[in-house]
Amino acid sequence: MWTALARKKLLGYVVAVVVIAAATAVLRIFGGQINPTTVALALLLLVLFVATAWGPKPAVLASLLGVVCFNFFFLPPVHTFSISEPENWIALVAFLITAFTVGQLSAHAQKRAAEATAARQEVERLYHELQSSFEQASQAKAVKQSERLKSALLDAVTHDLRTPLTSIKASVTTLLDDQNLVSTGGVTTRLGEDGRQEMLEVIDEEADRLDRFIEGLMELARIEAGDLQLRRHWGSLEEILRAALKRAEPRTRQHTIELKFSDALPAVNVDEPALVEVVYVLLDNAAKYSAPGSTIRIAAMQDDQNQVLLSVEDEGPGIPAKLRERVFDKFYRATRETGGRQPAGTGMGLAIAQGIIEAHEGRIWIEAGGGGRGARFVVTLPHVSDKL
Amino acid sequence: MNPRQRILLVDDERQITRVLSRGLTAKGYDVHVAADGEVALQTFGDWHPDLVVTDLSMPNLSGLELCRRLRAFSEVPIIVLSVKGEERAKVEALDAGADDYVTKPFGIDELLARIRAALRRVPAETVAENNVLAAGEFRVQLEERKVTIHEKEVHLTPKEYDLLVYFLRHPGKVLTHHVLLGAVWGGDYVGQTEYLRVFIGQLRKKTEADPSSPKYILTEPWIGYRFNPGAE
Repeated sequence: MWTALARKKLLGYVVAVVVIAAATAVLRIFGGQINPTTVALALLLLVLFVATAWGPKPAVLASLLGVVCFNFFFLPPVHTFSISEPENWIALVAFLITAFTVGQLSAHAQKRAAEATAARQEVERLYHELQSSFEQASQAKAVKQSERLKSALLDAVTHDLRTPLTSIKASVTTLLDDQNLVSTGGVTTRLGEDGRQEMLEVIDEEADRLDRFIEGLMELARIEAGDLQLRRHWGSLEEILRAALKRAEPRTRQHTIELKFSDALPAVNVDEPALVEVVYVLLDNAAKYSAPGSTIRIAAMQDDQNQVLLSVEDEGPGIPAKLRERVFDKFYRATRETGGRQPAGTGMGLAIAQGIIEAHEGRIWIEAGGGGRGARFVVTLPHVSDKL
Repeated sequence: MNPRQRILLVDDERQITRVLSRGLTAKGYDVHVAADGEVALQTFGDWHPDLVVTDLSMPNLSGLELCRRLRAFSEVPIIVLSVKGEERAKVEALDAGADDYVTKPFGIDELLARIRAALRRVPAETVAENNVLAAGEFRVQLEERKVTIHEKEVHLTPKEYDLLVYFLRHPGKVLTHHVLLGAVWGGDYVGQTEYLRVFIGQLRKKTEADPSSPKYILTEPWIGYRFNPGAE
């Protein structure tokens, strides 16, 4: 049985014979018009071809066959193997050496090229292997980091869920306890009408607080999943600010609100309810972190880079420069580090605000308030001037 | 009629103090509220409560620090309120001298039971006056180092005896591994909880009717032990 390799080798010899024979035949037809140098060069070309395609051994065969044909058919006297002119001997020997050398060199180059290709493939394979192991390693690291983050978040969420639950559970058990007193023969309850009322109010308020917290979690999850669907329309920034102020009114009642709008506020292309939410978060935040009776300053203007600039400033203790980025982390509350009072926030407001602003291709950051006191939250929104 | 017992309630969560002060007032206690440790210390000085109930995580002065400061000058019973996940802070507070803990969320009955137990605890010094330490079914004649349970004498090794006496001096109180090891074996041993476990096991064998379900020396998982002297 012939193996594929043996068949290919044999084909090389067959081609060598056929090619030289065919070339000789063609060259013979043109006979007298072609001088021996042209014939030699043409035959050399074929040897080169055989060497390139089938390697050194068929090339040797082609060279020898070429020499024989060259001598027999083209070197005078033709049709004999004898050579009359001494210079033709030199030509024949030169042909033989050249054909042989060309064949060997070409085959050698071929082999080298094949080796180089194999080496390159090996390097590529190693590179891919290395890359995939790097990817696996960095994936493992990312997973580990995200696991750590998850457990820290879980702690924070647990705390924020348990606190209102504690108030609810304590209220309900107090009410139940009181109820049992009545049913076991007590005429009046110890808690009294006021007390019962207060317990029920706490339950109501804390249930709302839990609901707000869960609402915030959902919104944050939507933002993080990149699933925030903005419904952008061209609208008035002033209307947005007014809507937010109205919503925040119960929270800012004890503060003085100062508004500073530039005369010609440009239109903004935003999701209005989302932006109202952002401004509300900033107002709520300002009210929470500053003393009742102090002033909250709201300013809106167009800056020289064709952006809309919005700021909310309070007269609270301010936020130290090193914490100004962290307050946008979810569940982070500045008071834990600064030792201030812990307000009843969800720790998610600013993270949500940042998510909304970034979805609008805007920016949000914190500066020290005017005169170095308080905190100023600044929002920029890109705005296109040729509308409205 | 007895004057109403005073409870100082310390928590920065207003809703919780609202509920608890109503609930405790309805049960006949006199309640004052402080929103953080610093205010609590001030109120404590002015008002001399019989018991302190404090949250652990608070601004300004934490519950843990409040326990430390109070213990520097007072033996007032302290109950700490903790959330699951604050285990370390809870143990630290107990090490710092808190008597008991309640984990949030809790029912009012649980808190009331802990408050009653803490207020019932009599300072050990007054008990040991005539060299006899007695609580529930336990009686120890300190001079003779003689221990009886249900009027039946029990023979203890010196360390077992020390451990039991320490329990008897702190009935009902949660005693951390750290506190027990430090009190009975000294400061070098406070990390050796295995050591403690072995001695508790031996003490249970000699004191409990069924050492596998003890009724006197109760385990507080991962924290320590609580001694219940039995029938009042």
